[in-house]
Amino acid sequence: MSTNATPKEIGAIDFGLMNPEEYRDMSATKIITADTYDDDGYPIDMGLMDPRLGVIDPGLECKTCGQHSGSCNGHFGHIELAAPVIHVGFTKLIRRLLRGTCRECSRLLLDEHERDEFAERLQRARDLDDDVNDVTKAAIRQARKADRCPYCGEEQYDVQHEKPTTYYEVQDVLAAEYPQLIAEAMQPDEEEDRPATSPQELADATDIELSRINDILGGEFRPREESREAIERALDVDLSEEDLNKLMPSDIRDWFEAIPDEDVEVLGINAERSRPEWMILTVLPVPPVTARPSITLDNGQRSEDDLTHKLVDIIRINQRFMENREAGAPQLIIEDLWELLQYHVTTFMDNEISGTPPARHRSGRPLKTLSQRLKGKEGRFRGSLSGKRVNFSARTVISPDPTLSLNEVGVPERVAREMTQTMNVNEQNIEEARQYVRNGSEAHPGANRVIRPDGKVMKILDQAKEELAERIEPGWQVQRHLSDGDIVIFNRQPSLHRMSIMAHEVVVMPYKTFRLNTTVCPPYNADFDGDEMNMHALQNEEARAEARVLMRVQEQILSPRFGENIIGAIQDHVSGTYLLTHDDPEMGGLPRFNETQALDLLRATGVDTLPDDDGTDEQGRPYWTGRTIFSELLPSALDLEFTSSTGDRVAIDDGALVEGTIDEDAVGAFGGEIVDTIVKQYSETRARVFINEVASLAMRAIMHFGFSIGIDDESISDAAEAQIDESMENAYERVQELIDTYENDDLESLPGRTVDETLEMKIMQTLGKARDSAGDIADEHFDDDNPAVIMAESGARGSMLNLTQMAACVGQQAVRGERINRGYEDRTLSHFKPGDLSAEAHGFVEDSYRSGLTPREFFFHAMGGREGLVDTAVRTSKSGYLQRRLINALSELETQYDGTVRDTSDNIVQFEFGEDNTSPVKVSSSDDNEIDVDEIADRVLAAEFEDEGEEFAGAQATNLSESADDRMDRDRPSSPIDVPEVGDD
Amino acid sequence: MVEVSQHTLVPEHRLVDDDEIDALLAEYDISRTDLPKIKRTDPALPDEAATGDVVRIERDSRTTDRAVVHRLVIE
Ligand SMILES: [Mg+2]
Ligand SMILES: [Zn+2]
Ligand SMILES: [Zn+2]
Repeated sequence: MSTNATPKEIGAIDFGLMNPEEYRDMSATKIITADTYDDDGYPIDMGLMDPRLGVIDPGLECKTCGQHSGSCNGHFGHIELAAPVIHVGFTKLIRRLLRGTCRECSRLLLDEHERDEFAERLQRARDLDDDVNDVTKAAIRQARKADRCPYCGEEQYDVQHEKPTTYYEVQDVLAAEYPQLIAEAMQPDEEEDRPATSPQELADATDIELSRINDILGGEFRPREESREAIERALDVDLSEEDLNKLMPSDIRDWFEAIPDEDVEVLGINAERSRPEWMILTVLPVPPVTARPSITLDNGQRSEDDLTHKLVDIIRINQRFMENREAGAPQLIIEDLWELLQYHVTTFMDNEISGTPPARHRSGRPLKTLSQRLKGKEGRFRGSLSGKRVNFSARTVISPDPTLSLNEVGVPERVAREMTQTMNVNEQNIEEARQYVRNGSEAHPGANRVIRPDGKVMKILDQAKEELAERIEPGWQVQRHLSDGDIVIFNRQPSLHRMSIMAHEVVVMPYKTFRLNTTVCPPYNADFDGDEMNMHALQNEEARAEARVLMRVQEQILSPRFGENIIGAIQDHVSGTYLLTHDDPEMGGLPRFNETQALDLLRATGVDTLPDDDGTDEQGRPYWTGRTIFSELLPSALDLEFTSSTGDRVAIDDGALVEGTIDEDAVGAFGGEIVDTIVKQYSETRARVFINEVASLAMRAIMHFGFSIGIDDESISDAAEAQIDESMENAYERVQELIDTYENDDLESLPGRTVDETLEMKIMQTLGKARDSAGDIADEHFDDDNPAVIMAESGARGSMLNLTQMAACVGQQAVRGERINRGYEDRTLSHFKPGDLSAEAHGFVEDSYRSGLTPREFFFHAMGGREGLVDTAVRTSKSGYLQRRLINALSELETQYDGTVRDTSDNIVQFEFGEDNTSPVKVSSSDDNEIDVDEIADRVLAAEFEDEGEEFAGAQATNLSESADDRMDRDRPSSPIDVPEVGDD
Repeated sequence: MVEVSQHTLVPEHRLVDDDEIDALLAEYDISRTDLPKIKRTDPALPDEAATGDVVRIERDSRTTDRAVVHRLVIE
């Protein structure tokens, strides 16, 4: 925006038709010649490149407004069309008007009573925000029913529309020899085996009086449409002829000019702003040259815009039309030229009309005309306005960094040097600013540009940086590099929910990827198999403040979707806390750690002193249990009790884990109880610290124990193998029994099922049980310290079903919820006998993934697997579209200060937000652990007035890397940022 | 025929008198047409409801005990 422009608020936008007079008034010049430039390369006056239409060449002055290119937006010109043409954008409305108004007096074909009624309905539809089109369409439908005009009595004909822009009046005319034709049809016909029809029979069949029939036969009476149809139906002949009378655009214009304003209003058109005859163009606006700039090619040749080409065509035909008319050319030629003019004006506006060949460039490429500029993904709306590309953004591959806080993002130095933040220099920061400038634009943290108070922008060049630094005074601006602690917006597509875009604090790092803490993978749905993410550097203080307060990752721990935390421990974190806190008598009870080990576990957390030991070992050395160490991370007054999904009771008393194993249900993303409770009862900051520390502790713990998985972890003993084989054998027998019963017609069908369906269901059931029992046998065999079991138990990754499939039996493969039934005639593969109903012939995979599948099993497995793949592919595209529709429908709803949810036109959608005025993230997630507001208030007050006591979480380091960094002094409140000096190398 | 309005899952729909409507419209500073709508043909409506009436719907709510909504009866 230029500096002198005043921002204005748009009060309203009116859509309507444009008066041709207005086109002429706003026109800078009339365009009469199709030529663009003369031999010397100067634009021709009153040509398509007339200098009054604006300037594109820098240095030239606009002849209309006197400004130079860049400040002059260009000016419209106009072409006087030799004959009126139809505007393609309004063909449907033109058709409706032609059908609904009188061909003689142009009045709407509704009597006064009907007209008032529709006018009233229209007003009501507007008040109720209903679709106005429903009413106007009904009005036209009603008007079309009239045979004759209720005002002038003129007979009305149907109007046919031939796409895109031709209209015909259909006049049914009686052939002159109509009586003879009927008489002929009444004669018997041997060939067609038709008996004779007497006038009496005809009268009976058509319900017309006999005398009338005789009159018709005698040619004394011309039957009306109804009786004619009846006669023709009775005789099974078609005698009427249609006469198509083409309506020229000039006819239509005259017709529309006579429609009274009141009648137009009933059709939902504001006659003051949009007279219907304006839909027939008599004058064509010529877009300014700035909207169709010509390009000079390397060889000096000019290449014109597609719109200019199209305008050239229009002017040429327009001229030929005028010349021919003046010369008194025959009507046929005039009509051809008229059609050609219509074609060019049509394609000028829309070159993708069905039924019309698109106008093409010499090379054969279809021209990109007005509507093509606007439409579609790359069009002006979706491409240039909604999908605008922005500055201060970066995109690269992401990779994990467990040493970062979940609030942080690692930004490559190269990105940081390109992104800038504007510093307003004042007395306090002038030294800092100078140091940035002294560091230059090559080194980090430096600066790229300085802006003088007069607005002049100066690049910081390596040679001049020292002098420039000295010249900087308060009031200047320095565009310094992005550096540690700055806030940026981070995003991963598809941005399906609020947590897809969050604010992070910058940590500048070497190498070329964005680094993020693994705990923020769930909200972004990110992994590191090549995912890329976008970063946006914020450019004003307001945006930065807003991002920090509202968008920072820690503010998004709770998901508004289900009201519980979406950020928490994942995968190895969960395995780690499980190993650390699991009490398994077979594995020697709770894990114990000596002093060194305990300190090592806690070294990446903010805990720097060990609690009292839990006892001493045989040698008299103190030890700490995993639960004690985990408890160090909990807020000291936390009381919590819940039952995890494994049925394990977890109890936390006064900040100490006294019972239970910490698994996914306790600390995991997607509703880990402890995380959820800490956010709701303490603060986002405390929860952030907790999640960060749990992740670090878990990583140290899992490394302490060692954790790996290999193919042998899924192998089972020969005894178990034999047991599984036996149970499989049993299942096969039972299936065979079912098949035998079925084949003897002894199988009783289940209620509402056919016998065939019953058999299928019973077989599926039997085989399902077989797989489950195989799984149970395998499960029995696996030790509790089996890594796959630990992961499934703790919720870290995988399920017991996965383990069953790996170790015991993959089970029945299904396509569309049924056993596999497709392939050959009456059998799935050519290896089977027709009608074979056995398990192996219909996709039961008896083997396990570890033992390997037979070729037949492999093929069936691929069939089932394919369905899964197709399903996910279809689901993502379907749900994506659904999501888009839903978001677009809901995007403008807003909760007002009076608590109501309203749309943009103030319609109430909900009287209270969510009908309960409650934010889902502020609600307790379980009945067992209600939020105790009084208790929270007491604690906050106590913390406020107490000097000692628990350290308030907010006073801790903002992020982990800072606490690991010696720049950060825990006792010192946050200090102004020191800018390190950077060498010149 | 089943009387839908007697079903346990169908909340109470009560016609609102003019005074109450005026109070409601004043409270939210809206006109009648800004209210959410309900079709005249909706089986949950009381029989005497006519187009232009306002009904008060009182639902049980999981979070608050009851949630109240007003709707304008339309054709
Ligand atoms: Mg990926
Ligand atoms: Zn200008
Ligand atoms: Zn008329």
